[in-house]
Amino acid sequence: MKLISKTILYYLLISFPLLLLAGMFSYFLIKSELRDGTDESLMKETVNAKKLINAFKEPHTVYLSSDSLSYIKIVYSDKRSNIYSDTSIYDIPEQEFVRYRVLKSYHTSNNINYLITVSKTTLEEDELMEGLLSAFVMIVGFLVFAFFIVNWLLSKTLWKPFYKTLTELNNYNIKKREHHRFEAATTNEFNQLNVALNKMTEKIYSDFSQQKEFTENASHEMQTPLAIVKANISLLMQSSNLKEEEMNQLQTIDNTLKKLSALNKTLILLTKIENNQFQENTTIDFKETITKALSNYSDLIEAKKIQLETNLLDKLIININPLLADILISNLLQNAIRHNEEGGKIIVSLKGKTLKLSNSGEPLTINKADLFIRFKKDDTSKDSLGLGLSIVKSIVDTYNYQIEYHYENSLHTFIIQFC
Amino acid sequence: MKILLIEDEPELRKSIKQYLSQESYIVESASDFITASEKSSDYDYDCILVDITLPKGSGLDIIKQLKLKNSKAGIIIISAKNSSDDKIIGLDLGADDYLAKPFDLAELNSRIKALIRRRSFDGNKAIVVNEITIIPEERTVKVNNEQVNLTAKEYDLLLFFIANKNRVVSKNSIAEHLWGDDSDQMDSHDFIYVHLRNLRKKLAEKGCTDYVQTIYGIGYNFKIN
Repeated sequence: MKLISKTILYYLLISFPLLLLAGMFSYFLIKSELRDGTDESLMKETVNAKKLINAFKEPHTVYLSSDSLSYIKIVYSDKRSNIYSDTSIYDIPEQEFVRYRVLKSYHTSNNINYLITVSKTTLEEDELMEGLLSAFVMIVGFLVFAFFIVNWLLSKTLWKPFYKTLTELNNYNIKKREHHRFEAATTNEFNQLNVALNKMTEKIYSDFSQQKEFTENASHEMQTPLAIVKANISLLMQSSNLKEEEMNQLQTIDNTLKKLSALNKTLILLTKIENNQFQENTTIDFKETITKALSNYSDLIEAKKIQLETNLLDKLIININPLLADILISNLLQNAIRHNEEGGKIIVSLKGKTLKLSNSGEPLTINKADLFIRFKKDDTSKDSLGLGLSIVKSIVDTYNYQIEYHYENSLHTFIIQFC
Repeated sequence: MKILLIEDEPELRKSIKQYLSQESYIVESASDFITASEKSSDYDYDCILVDITLPKGSGLDIIKQLKLKNSKAGIIIISAKNSSDDKIIGLDLGADDYLAKPFDLAELNSRIKALIRRRSFDGNKAIVVNEITIIPEERTVKVNNEQVNLTAKEYDLLLFFIANKNRVVSKNSIAEHLWGDDSDQMDSHDFIYVHLRNLRKKLAEKGCTDYVQTIYGIGYNFKIN
C-alpha cells in the first residue's frame, strides 16, 4: 500500500469515530438548546394566558390560535402541574403529520379551574437541526477533501526526493561501469538516507571491483603455469620408453589440464563480458550468425543423429560485438547438442526479434532458477563446465535482451527477445 | 632456419626449445626486452616468437622495431593475455599469427611451419613426404600423383600430422587444432576417430602406406622412417 493511502486510511480510522462522537454530541446539545427555547416560549404564552384568565369577567373557553390547538378550557380538576409533551397532528392543508410541542398547565382564578394548552410546531426547530446537520457534514467532507489534497501535495513535494532516490535505487546496477551518486536532498532525513546509500553503494562497488579484478588477475596468472605443464606433457609424451599404464596416466593429466585450461579461459571470457571489455559493436544480421553457427556444428549434429529444424524467417539486424554474437549462439547450440539424446531434435526459429531454440532431452535435475548460475549443472553432464549458459546470460544482460527458459513436451526451449 | 624465442618464463622457454630442436631449427632465446631488442636488431631470423608481457618492456614494441627495420622474419605472438585487443593491435603492427597461452607445442610447431612456408620464396611450396604430396596453396593432396579428395577436416588433420611427423600428438592437441576453442565444449575424441578413419581409408585407397600409429589411448604418431 502506498504511503499516502496508508496515511489517509489511518487518518480516517481515527477521525471517523471522533467525528461521529462529536457529531452526536453537538446534535444532542443543539437539540436540547432548541427544545429549551421552544419550552420557554410555550411557558411565556402560558403566563400570558394566565394573565388573560385573571382578567376574565366570567369564566369561559378561549381559543388562543386560529388552528385551535392553543386554548383555555374550564376543567373540574385541581391539578397544579405543567406537563410538556410531544405530539404529531395531521395537518390537512399540508397533508402530512406535523410535530408539535404541547404544554398543558392548570390555573385557578376566582375558584374556577382552567386548563391552559399551548402548542407550537417544532417545524422550525427540525429545519434548523437539519440545516445544522448538513452544515456539519459539509464541514467534515471539506476537511477530508482538504486532507486528501494536502497529503497529495505533500507527497508530491515533500516526498519527492524520497521517490527520486527510490527510482534511482531500483535502476541501480552494479555491473554498469559508472558509479552512481545519490544527490543531496534539502530534507534532513532524506539527505541522511542518500548519504548512507552513497556510502553503502561505494562499499559494494569497491568490493565488487576488487573481486572482479581478483578473478581477472588470478585467471591471467594461471595461464603461464598451465602453459608450462602443457608443454612438458607434450615433451613427456615423446618419450619412447613409457609403459601403457604411464601413458594412460599422462592421458588423464592431459585431459584434466585441458579441462582446467578451458575453465580458466571461460572464466576470463565471463569476466571480460561482465567488465564490458567488448566495446566495439557493429551492426550485423543475426540470422547470418545463426546460419554460420549451424554449419559449424553440422558434423556434431549429424554425429548424434539429431534432426535439425530451422525456421529463420526474418533478418535480424542488431548492434552487437560480433564475437559476442558468435559466442551467444554457439553456447546455446552447444548446450542444445550436449543435452540432447541420440536421434533427438533441435528446432531453431527466428521471428521478428524473437529467437527460439528448442532441443529434446530429459527434464532438468536442477532448479530452473539455477540454470544460468555459474557451475550449476545437471548431474548427468559430467564433462560440462557449467559455464555456457552463464555466458549466454551475461551477454544477454550486457545488451539488455531478455532470456527465458521452459520445458514442455520433452523439449527444452530458450527464448531470447532482442530489443 | 633460425628462430628467436622471446619468453621470460625459463621453464616454458626450455620446453619450447626442446620441442623445436627436433626440427632442423636453430633456436635462440631472449628472456627480457633489452636482450630481445638487441638480438632482433643485430641478427636476422626466419621466425620470431614473442611474448607480449616481458620484463622491462612490451613485446609489441619489439614488433614495431622489427617492422621499422623492414625485417622479413615471420612473427608469432605468444601471450598469456588472451585479449582480443592485444591480438588486434599485434596483428595490426604486422605480426603474422597469435597464439594464446596455454598453447600446445604441436600447435605452435604447425603454425611455425605454416608461417615459414607462406614466407618462403623458393617457389617450391609443395610438402612432400614419401608418396604423399601436399600443395597448401591449393589445399590439394596427391598420393603417387593421384589426387585424393579430402574434406576440410581430413586435410587439416593430415597437414597437422605431417607438421608434427615422428612425434606423438595427443587427441587433445588434434581436437584443439581442428575445432579451436569449441573443442573444450564437446566430446571431440569420437570425432577425431571418425575423421581419422576416413582419412586413413582414403589414403589407403590410393595405395598409401598407413603411417599413423595409435599410441595407447593418448594419441597418434605419424611415423615416417
